[in-house]
Amino acid sequence: MNRARKLACVVVLVVCAMSLAANWLAPAGYAKQFREAPDAPPSHQHLLGTDEVGRDRFARVLYGTRISLLLAPAAALVSTVLAALVGGLAGYLGGFWLRLARGFTDLFLSLPWLFLLITVRALLPLNVSPLTSVLITFLILGLLGWAASARVLSTSADALRNSDFILQARASGLHGPRLFLIHVLPNLKPVLYAQFWISIPVFILSEANLGILGLGVAEPMPSWGSLLRELEGLISFREEPWRLVPLLLLIVVMTSFQLLLSNEEVTA
Amino acid sequence: MTTTTKMPMSTPAQVKSESLLSAHLTVRYPGKPPVLRGISLDIARGEVVGLVGQSGSGKSTLAMAILGLLGRQRATIEGNIIFQGADLLAMSERELRNHRGRSLSLVLQSPLASLNPALRLRTQLREAWRAHSDNNATSTDCDRAIQSALKSVSLPGDAEDPDFLRKRASQLSVGQAQRVLIAMAIMHRPALLIADEATSALDVITQSEIMELFARLNREIGMSILYISHDLPSVAGICQRIAILHEGEIVESGPTEQIFTAPAHAYTRRLMAALPQVPVRREVLLARAHAATLQ
Repeated sequence: MNRARKLACVVVLVVCAMSLAANWLAPAGYAKQFREAPDAPPSHQHLLGTDEVGRDRFARVLYGTRISLLLAPAAALVSTVLAALVGGLAGYLGGFWLRLARGFTDLFLSLPWLFLLITVRALLPLNVSPLTSVLITFLILGLLGWAASARVLSTSADALRNSDFILQARASGLHGPRLFLIHVLPNLKPVLYAQFWISIPVFILSEANLGILGLGVAEPMPSWGSLLRELEGLISFREEPWRLVPLLLLIVVMTSFQLLLSNEEVTA
Repeated sequence: MTTTTKMPMSTPAQVKSESLLSAHLTVRYPGKPPVLRGISLDIARGEVVGLVGQSGSGKSTLAMAILGLLGRQRATIEGNIIFQGADLLAMSERELRNHRGRSLSLVLQSPLASLNPALRLRTQLREAWRAHSDNNATSTDCDRAIQSALKSVSLPGDAEDPDFLRKRASQLSVGQAQRVLIAMAIMHRPALLIADEATSALDVITQSEIMELFARLNREIGMSILYISHDLPSVAGICQRIAILHEGEIVESGPTEQIFTAPAHAYTRRLMAALPQVPVRREVLLARAHAATLQ
């Protein structure tokens, strides 16, 4: 592991640890309003100041980080499982099923991702509880984000289907789901891992985009998207630079994830 | 999908009583000339038959046709393959699967590529056993079968090397990998083992060891072997009969000694002429051929 990857690993771990320790680091919570101090600048009591309704920005950044960092891997898990089912199975079956799956994934990929995401989210109820909004956001990301991974997996599974060891397994009398689960799937693991890790930063950004548009996680629950949305009202960066912390955090974490992915994973 | 067309070449009743396999077939892919043209191949029980031909002559196609594994490549097979009195080409996929690995086994050319790189050897052997085990069979039965198969191919069992079955293909030598493949292939004591260029990727010493192993398994289990190769010297050492495949046709077949001493077809003569011209070599080959024919 080179120095940059080590540093990226440390950054991601520290950010994750801080978000998980939010209850201790910011015991007041993300929703508590300090009505006597709205829009307050950073102080000993509020490290990043407060927002316009007096909520502690530091607490909201920590809790928002927790939501985004949990949401993205959960969505990545859903999309990777779907990709394995659609792409992996189609590649393993080959022939008609492979052509069908590829046609379907190509159609899916031809749709602009963000446009699709916004459209589908806008079709669903917006006036929902914060927890429901988290579930909806994570499910949308997971259920719509599988196509690219499925394309990669179908190619890998197709190559495996024609490999000598699968031929040997079939010549031994193995067939059906057992052949797929025992012989094919373990060989797709590296690709599955790669697709999972690649999806995480994509979904973090996607959630942020939805949040900026007010289609992501509902208030008062914070996420990086909803925190970035607060930048809308920012008049001068120089006067209130602390308000850029969520943006900087997003950039740092995204960069770290990219550095963590090896070249092999990116090209897998 | 494989399509089969019956041809009046032979019927099960016409096949000799000691015959294990009698194949008469033509194989073609859409829009291309036939890969195999009206070939006839007979294998008796306990017999080792060599199928010799240069690369691209259709040797592996014949092996895959016998195993019913050409289907996915949209091959069209005409004729019949009578195996143990039943036509393999008339069987459903389920019936064919019941034969694969149980009475018909395959050993491929590249041992390291033929073992699953992601699985430990124990898992692979266990899977090969489970494919045809009874529902009542226990894991003890499975372990016993694995140990027996390993012993048959001179590989260490749990008693000799407890770590051996925990290894993966990448941790084996080519010779060991080929023995593992053979162990998988003979686990259910098949009536016919198809060795498709099974020694081509091996060094000379390992090749010799594997050849000896095939000969021993043939003697001990009474298993017939279709030994597919482009390497005449190795064929001479093990096969009682040889069929020469050239451009999709069997141009000559007969006892090994006859093929070596009196090749009738021009292509067979070319093959003989292409053998290394070391003075002792030809005599050694003839001696081997004579010994194999007498077996």
